[in-house]
Amino acid sequence: MDFADLFTDAGREIFAPTTAAFALAAIGLNFHFGLTGLLNMGHAGFMLVGMYGYAITVREGGGMVLGLIVAMLLAVVFGLILGWPTLKLRGDYLAIVTIAAAEFVRFLGRSSVMKNITGGSTGIRGSDYKEPFESLSPFPSEQITIGPFTMHGTASTSWFLVLVGWSVVGLFALLFWRLSNSPWGRVLKGIREDEDAVRSLGKNVYAYKMQALVIGGVIGALGGVLWSFSAAVQPDSMGRPTTFWLWTLLLLGGAATVFGPILGSIIFWTALVLVRSLAAMFIPETWMAATEREPFSLVLVGVTLMLLVIFRPQGILGNRRELAIND
Amino acid sequence: MTTIHDRRVWLRAIVVLVLAAAAITVFSVLVADSAQAADVATHAVAADAGTDDVTTTDATTTTGGSGRVLQAVVNGLIFGSLLALASVGLSLIYGTTGLSNFAHGEQVSFGAVLTYFLVADDVSLPLIPGTFGIGIPLIPAALLAVAISAGTGWLQDKFLWSPLRRRRVGIVQQMIVSIGLSLAMLNMLQWWMGGGRMRLTTSIADRLQIGPVQISTQTLWSVLIAILCLLGVSYFLLRTRLGRATRAVSDNPALASASGIKVESIIRLVWILAAGLAGLGGILLGLYEQGTAFDAGARLLLLMFAAVTLGGLGQPFGALVGSLVIGLVAELSTLWLPADLKVATALVILIGVLLVRPQGILGRAERVG
Repeated sequence: MDFADLFTDAGREIFAPTTAAFALAAIGLNFHFGLTGLLNMGHAGFMLVGMYGYAITVREGGGMVLGLIVAMLLAVVFGLILGWPTLKLRGDYLAIVTIAAAEFVRFLGRSSVMKNITGGSTGIRGSDYKEPFESLSPFPSEQITIGPFTMHGTASTSWFLVLVGWSVVGLFALLFWRLSNSPWGRVLKGIREDEDAVRSLGKNVYAYKMQALVIGGVIGALGGVLWSFSAAVQPDSMGRPTTFWLWTLLLLGGAATVFGPILGSIIFWTALVLVRSLAAMFIPETWMAATEREPFSLVLVGVTLMLLVIFRPQGILGNRRELAIND
Repeated sequence: MTTIHDRRVWLRAIVVLVLAAAAITVFSVLVADSAQAADVATHAVAADAGTDDVTTTDATTTTGGSGRVLQAVVNGLIFGSLLALASVGLSLIYGTTGLSNFAHGEQVSFGAVLTYFLVADDVSLPLIPGTFGIGIPLIPAALLAVAISAGTGWLQDKFLWSPLRRRRVGIVQQMIVSIGLSLAMLNMLQWWMGGGRMRLTTSIADRLQIGPVQISTQTLWSVLIAILCLLGVSYFLLRTRLGRATRAVSDNPALASASGIKVESIIRLVWILAAGLAGLGGILLGLYEQGTAFDAGARLLLLMFAAVTLGGLGQPFGALVGSLVIGLVAELSTLWLPADLKVATALVILIGVLLVRPQGILGRAERVG
């Protein structure tokens, strides 16, 4: 592998559909953590719920619109169930319960009991649910090369998906910008800074938190659906690490900012590919086998998360004075 | 703690257990249809295999009925006491510093993986080519691994958590740091040892038959060690000066500091103790489950959180009671549900407890939000 390939690979990650999917999910997390200060450690659970909702509905012949509605409804229900016991409690209870609930969804999805519905641990194949979406593509069904990048026009990780994915991300970034500057968004920021002050102004803090949790969760579910278009519905790909990646890239880009999740996602995925490729190029096979590159790059992700939170909690775009992570 | 209080505690534990059992029964009825379908499928497979069919029916008749329940109860108590060993430290750290330490699961795996590293004869280190063997016998290796685990607790507090506290970094921030640490350590362990299962000992333990219950000598020893350690920790907390100081810090750090207790050294001690106990718990669990893996502790983390929350966050004896309940429920659930939903049941209980009694079984009723 030479440098030209390396930069093509890393460059592709800048606009890849997976990057868009993670950016979208991170926008949802931004509603939770950035605006309201909720510690949702189970965002992958929302993504998985959305993926299952969409894929199963479409597989059973429900069509794309119904699939999206089901995905969003499931996320609403999931959010309500999570928020109900925990939003009145201290922040770390929500963290523990969301992480537990996300794992519960994953365990249930991959359990043998649900095999007929969710496909167990193998999940649902892409060909079972991608067809209605891909049939909307205006692009020809062949490999298309734009500049140095070659992708399929229609199927799976395609130019069509890139177009749709980033349009949706742009739409929700706009929504985030409008909502965060609305009176509603200012109340949420108030809750983040000082819950008791907002309560003393007569606002129903519990209801506001619940609204933020549900809206962010629905966006997370849509991120999951977007992700499933370039991959398959696989419960184990939505485990705890996925949530932690989302947190890393949100904090990297800057929580509570409009472009933070997008920038964070782009940098995160590009850096991950760069690290893996550079390790493959410069570290001899006897020192680090091919199978060891993945854990090596993820060690760096963990260390990045630690350093970010300690030294630059506002991330690249954030404002330190606006976002002081506190209790 | 008065005896009346004690009795109430146990009553509550039993109420939670009964509620959980009821919930599981309801759930099993709900999923019965698909479960039956799965049953039919496995029977078909067994029929295909022919001779297999005979042996499986044999097994069910010998262990059927009350024997199965008793075996599940015993397994649950064993698993619960090992889980308690791992989660007491989590609870102590929460009590003294307020930190929900998400990297505690990796401390558990670290103990087990380190023991394997010391015992096995074809291991390697990251970035260093070639394999080598240290090959110490199991028991000294386990002791050494516990000591090194405790050392990592000291190291972590000295170079990470203590500076963070001094910089007055918020608790939520510290929690996210612990998540980063957990991600880094988990992948470090995978990088070091690979993804395969590791057997701490290759010898096959004798199985004892006590009435209808089967238990291996190895497991018996593990449980004995776990109980001894838990008694030791209880003695330390209740009877020694340092233990009393620890509980004082847990109760109110500012007041403890004002009455002359060195809060920082107590916290250092708690980290050492917690990391050591977690390492020991990892080793014993590795023996009980006849193998360990780089993510053994990560899979346990949520059960530990469930146990600690169930018992009452920050209450060391709460972790004990909570672990036993979680262990029992997880094992008893296998009587109705497929084994791969064992962990899921425990997580449902966690959410249920937060609904009914957020301060846990032993926690005091106070505002927690």
